[in-house]
Amino acid sequence: MIVLRPRARRRFATLLSVPLFAVPLLAVPLLAVTCLLGGAEEGGALAVDELARGVYVHRGAQLPLDVPGHDDIANIGFIVGSRCVAVIDTGGSVRIGRALRAAVRRRTSLPICYVINTHVHVDHVLGNEAFKDDHPSFVGNATLAQAMVRSRPYFVKEYAQDLDAPATLEQVIGPDRLVETELTLDLGDRPLTLRAWPTAHTDCDLTVYDQKTSTLWTGDLLFIGRLPALDGSLVGWIAAVDRLAALRVRLAIPGHGPPTPHLQEALAREHGYLESLLQGVRRELAAGDSMQDAILHVGGDEKSRWLLFDEVHPRNVARAYEELQWEK
Amino acid sequence: MSFRLIVCASVLLGLAPVCHGDDTQPASSMWEFLRTKYYGDAPMGLVDEGYMSLEVPANTPDPAATPLTLHFADDAHIKRARVFIDNNPSPLVATFEFGDTPVTQIDLHVRVDRFTSVRVVAEKAGGGLEMRSTWVKASGGCSAPPSAAAGGVLGEIRLRPGENAKSLLVSIHHPNSSGFQIDPRTGDNIPAHYISHVRIEAGGRTLLDAETGISVSENPTLRIASDQALPAPVTVDAVDSVTQAHFTASTASARTAAAQVPAPANGRN
Repeated sequence: MIVLRPRARRRFATLLSVPLFAVPLLAVPLLAVTCLLGGAEEGGALAVDELARGVYVHRGAQLPLDVPGHDDIANIGFIVGSRCVAVIDTGGSVRIGRALRAAVRRRTSLPICYVINTHVHVDHVLGNEAFKDDHPSFVGNATLAQAMVRSRPYFVKEYAQDLDAPATLEQVIGPDRLVETELTLDLGDRPLTLRAWPTAHTDCDLTVYDQKTSTLWTGDLLFIGRLPALDGSLVGWIAAVDRLAALRVRLAIPGHGPPTPHLQEALAREHGYLESLLQGVRRELAAGDSMQDAILHVGGDEKSRWLLFDEVHPRNVARAYEELQWEK
Repeated sequence: MSFRLIVCASVLLGLAPVCHGDDTQPASSMWEFLRTKYYGDAPMGLVDEGYMSLEVPANTPDPAATPLTLHFADDAHIKRARVFIDNNPSPLVATFEFGDTPVTQIDLHVRVDRFTSVRVVAEKAGGGLEMRSTWVKASGGCSAPPSAAAGGVLGEIRLRPGENAKSLLVSIHHPNSSGFQIDPRTGDNIPAHYISHVRIEAGGRTLLDAETGISVSENPTLRIASDQALPAPVTVDAVDSVTQAHFTASTASARTAAAQVPAPANGRN
């Protein structure tokens, strides 16, 4: 997939100033490189946009987890203070992590002091290894440590091609600094407030708030465009959405989908889906229906509003069914 | 994975190669082994979907809790049915023995470890065998970590009757540990610990007697349906594989518990 980002567009504009006969000669290798790296800048650096002063975001593609490019589907990025840099999520492969690191280096030579993971999923953590030599503090929800231990063997087995060969457990780096409820990190005249959430999207969600620009990184507590994927607690996630909706921020960066100044609107749409899942599965259970019936009956009217609905929705219903069987 | 291969090898006494995955087609040599073990060379009917059918989503929504549905004709007169998942470390999922009331549907959530055939073989009361099979793409269902929402009371049973009491959804709170899961706190294998037996009676007579194993999902969920109302009360008795404890529940006691709450001792409402 070729997305012409502003920087790439400038590059094409430059091409037009060379003699016309030379364009095919130059454009072919350039296109090839763009195709191969997908959203890459020169020198193997990941394309990032400065969405607020010192806040750089790389937009992941809205792709499923089992296709080429699956390692570049999450929004990841970094925030630069006067003293050092915090990286927020590192992408779904060591390769993407390195490209993100190259993007940091293109913008600042300040040290990378923190690598923050918003939760345990591969598309957010497998690039951690690329930052090891910077000796940052790896930061996450206190529950992320255990989630990493639990998931590490699975990641190494199922996502070996996204790690350096040979894939080893050591490359899947967990947190060394844990957030129990709230923690403020200072990047130098730049305080970041990290908040650990009770089980919602996963059992280890974390949000990052940049006070200076009023920017909230929601991690996967917020999906925009792409269907939210349930891997924690449906009831907990709805509660988290309600709490997030009380926040007033200038910019929200979701785990997936376009960053937005309209946090409440995006949360309302996500809430709509989660609530229809909740009510639908509760109804099926009350009628004593099977999981297969629930998958057939619940939430279909949300289909047109979301990307990857068919890939993700049946699993969401299954997870909700398993959880809600035990509701008091 | 070496641990699992060793277990497979010891189970199969030298047939270890069938434990290796095949990316294009579920391996069938395991089925030859199982078929011979349980049924010798008796012929099996394979076609009449009206008599019996098996439904499992080819792309499972959750490898650790894949919904499996069996349908039977109300005049099928089946004495016993076994469910197999060829490529699971323990392929025999469950053995169902039926009573007099015809059961027309069974739903069960199962662990699916990798690309595999799933089968049901029915033994007719009058003799003869019927088999239906399908296949499922999945990975990691047996080693999937315990759910993050685990907890609650071991052996708690929830009963949800369906419309006109023709069905009953039974949910049993139990880790149903497969023996292939890792304890995230210690890194050690969690020992197998599961519901080994479920007996369901309706109106004092056996409706279904099930022997179950580690391929059944965490919090075992079993739904039975009939073409007629299940005679009341329906009772469930589930046995723990480790402690041999019996966990029980009844639609009658659930109803009476709600209807006949004794007045508080102090006489106030």
